[in-house]
Amino acid sequence: MRQRRVAITGLGLVSPYGGDLPDFFARLCAGESAVSHLLTDDVPRPLSMPFVTSPGFDPVVALGKPLASMMDRYAQFGMAAAFSAWDDAGLPRKSEGECRNNWGVAWGTALGGTMAYEHGYRELWQRGRERLSPLTVVLGMNNGANAHISIQLGLGGVSMSHTVACASSAIAIGEAFRRVRSGEAMIMVTGGSDVPQAYGVARAWEALRVMAPGDAETSATSCRPFSADRRGLVLGEGGAALVLEDWDHAIARGARIHGELVGYGTTCDHSHLVRPEAEGQVRAIQLTLADAGLSTEDIDYINAHGTATTEGDPVEIAALQAVFGERSASLPVSATKSMHGHLLGGSAAIEAIVTVLALRDQVIPPTAHLYELDPACSGVDHVTTARHGRQLRAALSNSFAFGGSNAVLAFRSVEL
Amino acid sequence: MESIGLIRDFLKDRLGVEPDKVVPGALLADLGVDSLMMLELMFEFEDRYGIKLSRDIKSPRSVGDMVSLMDGLIAKSTS
Repeated sequence: MRQRRVAITGLGLVSPYGGDLPDFFARLCAGESAVSHLLTDDVPRPLSMPFVTSPGFDPVVALGKPLASMMDRYAQFGMAAAFSAWDDAGLPRKSEGECRNNWGVAWGTALGGTMAYEHGYRELWQRGRERLSPLTVVLGMNNGANAHISIQLGLGGVSMSHTVACASSAIAIGEAFRRVRSGEAMIMVTGGSDVPQAYGVARAWEALRVMAPGDAETSATSCRPFSADRRGLVLGEGGAALVLEDWDHAIARGARIHGELVGYGTTCDHSHLVRPEAEGQVRAIQLTLADAGLSTEDIDYINAHGTATTEGDPVEIAALQAVFGERSASLPVSATKSMHGHLLGGSAAIEAIVTVLALRDQVIPPTAHLYELDPACSGVDHVTTARHGRQLRAALSNSFAFGGSNAVLAFRSVEL
Repeated sequence: MESIGLIRDFLKDRLGVEPDKVVPGALLADLGVDSLMMLELMFEFEDRYGIKLSRDIKSPRSVGDMVSLMDGLIAKSTS
């Protein structure tokens, strides 16, 4: 069967800066951090850490009360991002007679409705209650976001969730891409969302000793990928969505095409739960290039996984060097987690949007706070201030997860 | 009619329904109460009054049915 081309016709997110999509990308290109200091009122001890919150996000305003009250916060982020991407694609929320039975959703989330269960534990163990709200079941389920998206947009095709830690939404986007490319689906809504400030989750991450420290003054610059003085990652809440559409369908309805998704590859290190290996990452990047029909010479930008952990960053650079060889030295790379943080299951989705916008607007957003490069991370062209004026034809976005799962997406700019 | 206050508070809080619409003749479905919301409403009622509803209780259709059911159970539990 002939492979279909896959157009990206809708982009949407709940911006950690509080504004719209153009505002989000402008701030990223300006190197502005969305990281702030999170201080909760948790009992018995508050969480206190650098974090990316979305204080401007009001689920009741975004979704209406009846819908918002049926969702855990991660699903509220997902639904709001999906609505935003859908509107951006110029598609009506209610079908206007067209059959949507092969339109679907593939959603990424690492934690799903953890907050709903955590709320339940508090009720049972802290407040001594004996029973929980029956809604806890539907709020807590990992497929809550995709189910709501399918219902709200009337999508009768596949509706599934992908839980692959930090690569959740890369795999969701990749699997959605394959369905559109094969002709199985005409349109797929995809992306991811997560809310990692569940008390138990955040405390567990702290214990792993991979979280960057920071207070009210220092939090904004606490996530420093590839930097000699990097101290670790910064978690964040959020959601981001893309609408993937059969190219001919998009053209026929006169849709605006932001970019083209051209390749996806995924592998497993199959060696260790948390220690990444360049070899597995290399295979994922090579698979993606082959899937996309691209050579290393075609790639003008890499949106790195770049979490700012001591162990992870040099391994990713080693993988890029292994794949790109002599070209590595001039290969533009940036890690935008330095500004929007690590949204876990939402990370790859927000980074996919960043990569698509980089290609569409022909500007590379920087790695923020990178003043002194760690020699162990040298060997590529680290972009430390927004770069304009060079042609960007194609780009990759890397996502490497705990568990050893690697997923890479390849995008191409649209020549119209 | 003491339970109408609880129903009004619940519908305002969860569904944003204005209290003046929550009258005995109104159908719960028309106010946006589906089967899930009904379970949640019953849970809230049980919680508030420390009453355990029987599992085979028939779902009320209107606000009036709901009020009669709840008021009856409250009277029974306090008598």
